[in-house]
Amino acid sequence: MFRSHRAQLPELPTPRASPTPARPVIVFERVSKMYGSGKPALDEVSFQVHPKDFLFVVGASGAGKSTMVRLLIREEVASRGHVLVDGQDLRRLRRRQLPRLRRTMGIVFQDYKLLPNLTVEQNVAFAIQVTNPGRRHLREKVAEALYIVGLEDRLLSTPGQLSGGEQQRVAIARALVHRPRIFLADEPTGNLDPDTSWGIVQLLLQINHRGTTVLVATHNREIVDLCRQRVIAVEGGRIVRDEAEGRYLEGGTAAS
Amino acid sequence: MNPFPAIRFVLRSALQNVVHNLGISMASLLTVTLTLLGAGGAVIVVHALDNVLHTEESQASVLKVFLADHVSLQAVMEMEAQLAAQRPVVSVSFENKDAAVRQAGSLGLRAAINTLRDTGGGNPLPASLNLKLRSIAAVTTINNEVRTSPLIFQGAHPTDYNPDVIPRLERYILIAQIAGAVLVAVIGAVALVIITISIRTAAYVRRREIEIMKLVGASEWFIRWPFIFEGMIIGIASAVVASAVLLGVEALFGSGRSLFLGIGLHFALVVVGGLVVAGALLGAFGSMVGIRRSLAV
Repeated sequence: MFRSHRAQLPELPTPRASPTPARPVIVFERVSKMYGSGKPALDEVSFQVHPKDFLFVVGASGAGKSTMVRLLIREEVASRGHVLVDGQDLRRLRRRQLPRLRRTMGIVFQDYKLLPNLTVEQNVAFAIQVTNPGRRHLREKVAEALYIVGLEDRLLSTPGQLSGGEQQRVAIARALVHRPRIFLADEPTGNLDPDTSWGIVQLLLQINHRGTTVLVATHNREIVDLCRQRVIAVEGGRIVRDEAEGRYLEGGTAAS
Repeated sequence: MNPFPAIRFVLRSALQNVVHNLGISMASLLTVTLTLLGAGGAVIVVHALDNVLHTEESQASVLKVFLADHVSLQAVMEMEAQLAAQRPVVSVSFENKDAAVRQAGSLGLRAAINTLRDTGGGNPLPASLNLKLRSIAAVTTINNEVRTSPLIFQGAHPTDYNPDVIPRLERYILIAQIAGAVLVAVIGAVALVIITISIRTAAYVRRREIEIMKLVGASEWFIRWPFIFEGMIIGIASAVVASAVLLGVEALFGSGRSLFLGIGLHFALVVVGGLVVAGALLGAFGSMVGIRRSLAV
């Protein structure tokens, strides 16, 4: 059903060549994460992501995808091993350095995390107002971000007046307004129908095409199979497959 | 970076917090007002009590040293000079026998004195040196010292020193000061807890906003300031209301410059200023404690 819609959608950006030899922007080095005394959420996970890469992290619920995202934004700290972003070991990052790290990232989640009493424009502007309130050309930056996500004509709408897909686009615009080097999406299509999901993924691919490194944690098989981008499959906290142009298979594994 | 947009944002957010959570804000304002009212009232009552006790103390710190009848004026003046030179002594005044009679007369004892005079005893009252001492604590020392002088009246009561009054007054003053301090501390702690709960509730209501601020890279202080201002707004508004109530009571029961419970206008203004500062500090500190949990990474 999902594939039948693809012909009606605009052309995808062509997949880029294999990763450049530049210094990796994200490094997981034998990372384990334990919550309490139970089974580890991540177990000796290692991988690298290079600048301008597009990467899917796939796996069933509870496989450890969201833990990876939380480690990357330093909401959690690895129990063992090292997580490096732009060469910086996040374990050594001081609390007061966190805001600077997060300003280099755009982050979106399944539940959009929009403020319901603000308009679309205000929701996007909020990201600048609370980080750099003296920044000039605020409206232009916001308009540009909303133009990229195709919502330039919905400035005065509130989230309640938007569809799920539009709300996710607002969240993406808010994440883009700082022009991040890394874009993280944790189940960005989790609440969306297939058509809308595909539109969101196209948008993420466009963002990647503009030079931003994109990491998408998802269990949406269709979009992963259509995109043919790099796929890391996680099962029980361990990486079971890491492929340049992978596919999502039942059970959370991926195969080329 | 231009700080004004940041200040504008923080102030606007704080006011929005107050308005959006009007119910919680009003409840906080009411309870903090009541606690500040209690604290302000306690300070005024303790101050009034302190005034009363200090009046008693100043009366008790006057020592009347009765002089023997045979003493020459020269000897009295020398003794007066010696006493005046002592550190605990503020002033010394001589009261002759006639002045003592007038003083006794003013106390309604004229008839008894006249009776004594008529029986041929002359003026029965001794002349005295009246000492004003710096503190009540010095009375005993000076009393013991002057009693050894040969110029002193050698009767059962060479001075008007009353050993029971002074320790009792000192004890009362200490109790009043401790009770006042404890009361203000307890009421202050209650106000702090109330503001902390209020800000914690406000932070819970705005948890999504805080979460987004953290995600997009807002600094902790930037997240914290609106809540601190919110607490300060509640604290200051509560202090203003509490002060208005206290001054309203003064307007009802006071008269002119002499305010109720014997406090002066100057002290009333000090209390109002103190309440505003205390309200602002309580609000700020309570907010910092209240928001701390919400800022956990």
